[in-house]
Amino acid sequence: MNALKRYWWLFLILFVIVYPLTFGDSPYKTGILVFVGIYIMLAVGLDLLMGYGGQISVGHAAFFAIGAYTSGIMTARYGIPPMIAMTSGMFISAVLAWATGRPVLALKEYYLAMATLAFNEIIFTLIIGLEKFTGGASGLRDIPPFSVFGFSFENHILYYYFVWFVVFLVIASSIAVVKSPFGRTLIAIHSDEQAARHFGINSPKYKTSVFILAAIYASLAGSLYSHYMGFIAPDDFGVMTSINILVMLFLGGIGTIYGPVLGAAFLKILPEITYQFQDYELLINGIILIVVLVFMPKGLYGVLISLGKFIFRRAR
Amino acid sequence: MMVQNSDILNIENITKTFEGVRALENVDFRVKKGQIKALIGPNGAGKTTLLNVTSGLLKPDNGSIYMNGQKISGMTPDKIAFLGISRTFQLVRLFTINNATVLDNVLLGAHKQLKPDIIGTIFRRGSLNKKEREVKDKALEILSFVGLEGKEKFLPGALSFGNQRLLELARSLMTEPQMLLLDEPASGLNDAEVDGFIKLLLNIRDRGITILLVEHNMKVVMNIADDIVVLDFGKKLAEGTPSQICANQQVIEAYLGTYGSAQECV
Repeated sequence: MNALKRYWWLFLILFVIVYPLTFGDSPYKTGILVFVGIYIMLAVGLDLLMGYGGQISVGHAAFFAIGAYTSGIMTARYGIPPMIAMTSGMFISAVLAWATGRPVLALKEYYLAMATLAFNEIIFTLIIGLEKFTGGASGLRDIPPFSVFGFSFENHILYYYFVWFVVFLVIASSIAVVKSPFGRTLIAIHSDEQAARHFGINSPKYKTSVFILAAIYASLAGSLYSHYMGFIAPDDFGVMTSINILVMLFLGGIGTIYGPVLGAAFLKILPEITYQFQDYELLINGIILIVVLVFMPKGLYGVLISLGKFIFRRAR
Repeated sequence: MMVQNSDILNIENITKTFEGVRALENVDFRVKKGQIKALIGPNGAGKTTLLNVTSGLLKPDNGSIYMNGQKISGMTPDKIAFLGISRTFQLVRLFTINNATVLDNVLLGAHKQLKPDIIGTIFRRGSLNKKEREVKDKALEILSFVGLEGKEKFLPGALSFGNQRLLELARSLMTEPQMLLLDEPASGLNDAEVDGFIKLLLNIRDRGITILLVEHNMKVVMNIADDIVVLDFGKKLAEGTPSQICANQQVIEAYLGTYGSAQECV
């Protein structure tokens, strides 16, 4: 039983590996899980910033956009190898997060929410305005599939594996971060920033660091997204997307890393299950969110943990 | 400025005003290395303000504070913490988010030694884990030193109020401080706890850590203080040994008499 407790994630990896071989051998079915993976990266990054660092962001999609458009523009317009484009996107996001981190994260609560929202709007407006590069409101097309050293990931199953490989790196590094002195520092800042400073924590530096990490993850997700879609438009990166990521956090259970993973998976798979009620999709999402927030304040992950404990107790 | 080698903290002419209210006015005293100095006075005398100015939470309007001859007034709290001052709070302020345990709280005190950064956290796991094991051993040792052994996995909220105070103290000791600023550490403790607490503070002093203590409980003050400063309306009213303070007519009028605590004077 203890082994099960410790190595349950191996089953998850096994599932991800086996999935396309058994049920998913169609671009549609692997596509769902590719989107799930991309949103997991966004949600996990935001969880580090918000669930651990305690810094709200209503503009996380801004970095998603920067990654997607850097990759898109560099590969589609200038024929630069995707790997270099992706790295550049991560670099640009990191620099931008570094430059904006200190002034923006000096704000608290509602003010921080407004500032991050404005940041998202600025990026959104820039995408529409810089039509020459981004294609403006009508979008950017002809983004080539991802490739490394001439090896193309055009095959949807190969790309699926590649995305999930990156997803596992993101989750593993996030777990490493939160289970370390660095994670403890974030929790201290989240609990009581003033008190934390009395223990030698240079809080602006730590808040900026985790902001940069979350931005890099989001940018990575954006690059993977643009190569998968081949076409990106500004609407994919608006404030609504940012809010969706926030919903994933609360739905899954904020501040747990695994929770947002669940939340992202749930919110992305749900419409595929309830597609016959497509007209009511927003309504269904809304109702589920309210039910979760009211009755399961620790999110789906919290429910799963309680359920697990219940079963373990029964088994004994 | 006269810095003597035996001084760890020099507070010189500190003035702090809050929107016209003078919380501190030309307060001026020094703390000798290795002693326990108590700061007493009626409510609103400016005791906590003085601790806040010393720990860097507030900036003084005027005057300076020196630690071992180095000017610390005007520095941010994290820099002052690195220089070796640690503090506890009047209302307990423990870290509780994400089910942080008692042990997590104490381990946070090791921030100064660990100085975690994000790249090391992700890419240098080996050396990190080794350091983490070392500080964990030390944290457990400190927990048993303050009398919280076996409670490391508890949530801070599950501890009694007295134990939460001890936890704050353990967290501060974990920073390996030269000096502790304690803000009413004995308030809310019962008599038995107070006796244990007195012993603990004396033990801490014997480890070579200087203590500056704000306290209302005269039993604590008279039992452990080597030296006392009395503040009243933001001004220094008197300074001296416990017996000198007890004999001081002004102090009795302003503070000891009204609190009925003069009987603690022996």
